[in-house]
Amino acid sequence: MPQLEQVEFFISQLFWLGVFFVILFTVLTYITLPKIRAFLNQRDDFVKSHISKQDELIKKAESIIENYEAKLTEAKNQASQIINDAKDKALKESEDLIKATEVKIQHEIKQTEERVAKEKDTAISELNDQLKDSATNFLSKVTNIEKGNINL
Amino acid sequence: MAKGESPLKQFEIQPIVDINFLGFDISFTNSALWMTITTAFILIFFTAPFFKAKKTNSVSDLYPTRMQVAAELGFNFINSLLADTVGKEGKKYFPLVFTLFMFILFGNLFGMIPYSFTFTSHIIVTLALAMGVFIFVTVLGFVKHGVKFFSFFVIPGLPVYMLPLLIPIEIISYLSRPISLSVRLFANMLAGHTLLKVFAGFVSALGFFGILPLVFIIALTGLEILIAFLQAYVFAILTCLYINDALHLH
Repeated sequence: MPQLEQVEFFISQLFWLGVFFVILFTVLTYITLPKIRAFLNQRDDFVKSHISKQDELIKKAESIIENYEAKLTEAKNQASQIINDAKDKALKESEDLIKATEVKIQHEIKQTEERVAKEKDTAISELNDQLKDSATNFLSKVTNIEKGNINL
Repeated sequence: MAKGESPLKQFEIQPIVDINFLGFDISFTNSALWMTITTAFILIFFTAPFFKAKKTNSVSDLYPTRMQVAAELGFNFINSLLADTVGKEGKKYFPLVFTLFMFILFGNLFGMIPYSFTFTSHIIVTLALAMGVFIFVTVLGFVKHGVKFFSFFVIPGLPVYMLPLLIPIEIISYLSRPISLSVRLFANMLAGHTLLKVFAGFVSALGFFGILPLVFIIALTGLEILIAFLQAYVFAILTCLYINDALHLH
């Protein structure tokens, strides 16, 4: 087995192992690893800052939504108020109109009844006069008495 | 593989440049070459994508490129591993665990390239890494807790008469940590690569029917890539657990 037979190369192997391990360790420790760490930290910072920015934006958006909803409910309330007002007003107006119309109709009915009664009276009195006339005429013819002398 | 060649030949170390320093043979070998490639690859893979990223001015600068995503994947993987096992205090040890994991992972993975060399298949390398972790963790424990660190070997809530039996067991299990840690990685790499080579030998030996071991090798290569990742992961997570033990004792 060369690993155990080539004893003459032990020192050479140890020497070069030491040399390269120390070189590798030194360069990695002082140059490479700090560079990698710095890069990773930079990226982490960037991501973190963006996450906090995102949180801020989310909060802003939430407040905007709240605002919007508040305004929306306000507008809804206003709209229903307006509708109610309009309904009340229309109802009142129509009731007023109906009342006025009823009063008017009543009035006209009364007038018409009065007129009818008057006409009836005049018609009856006229009829009376005519009957009187024809009666006097008939009596004067029958009795030969002057018309003027007959008094019914 | 030539006929009659041992499947262990792939683990042979071949010097590329002979170097002698103060009487020590520190030749640049194929093992050192693949350590170079691994180190260079890790550094380029994880550093290059982030050099392009200058100061960010717009959102589009924060979009990672594909290579950045790949690098971040490794970074986050070790980060969460450490956070899950050690917790917040583990951040300090992140570079160590990251280096260990990536070095072993890409050492294992590059070892899967044909004709390459797997430096993690050498016990001396894995033992050195494991001893490094062991010594680091022990020193860390003493620095954090001083002499109180020895209470780590006393399991709380145990009857006193059990202590003479259990304290030696605890000490032995603690001392065997680097051995289990190194042998696990080494043996996995050794066995996997040897198995692949043995079956590769069957492919040429069986002629037409060599297609059967060939199919098997393809499946086995997939398994070996999984093991390459898994062993690096095991090494890293055990390191994390040892660090956790050293920091919190029980």
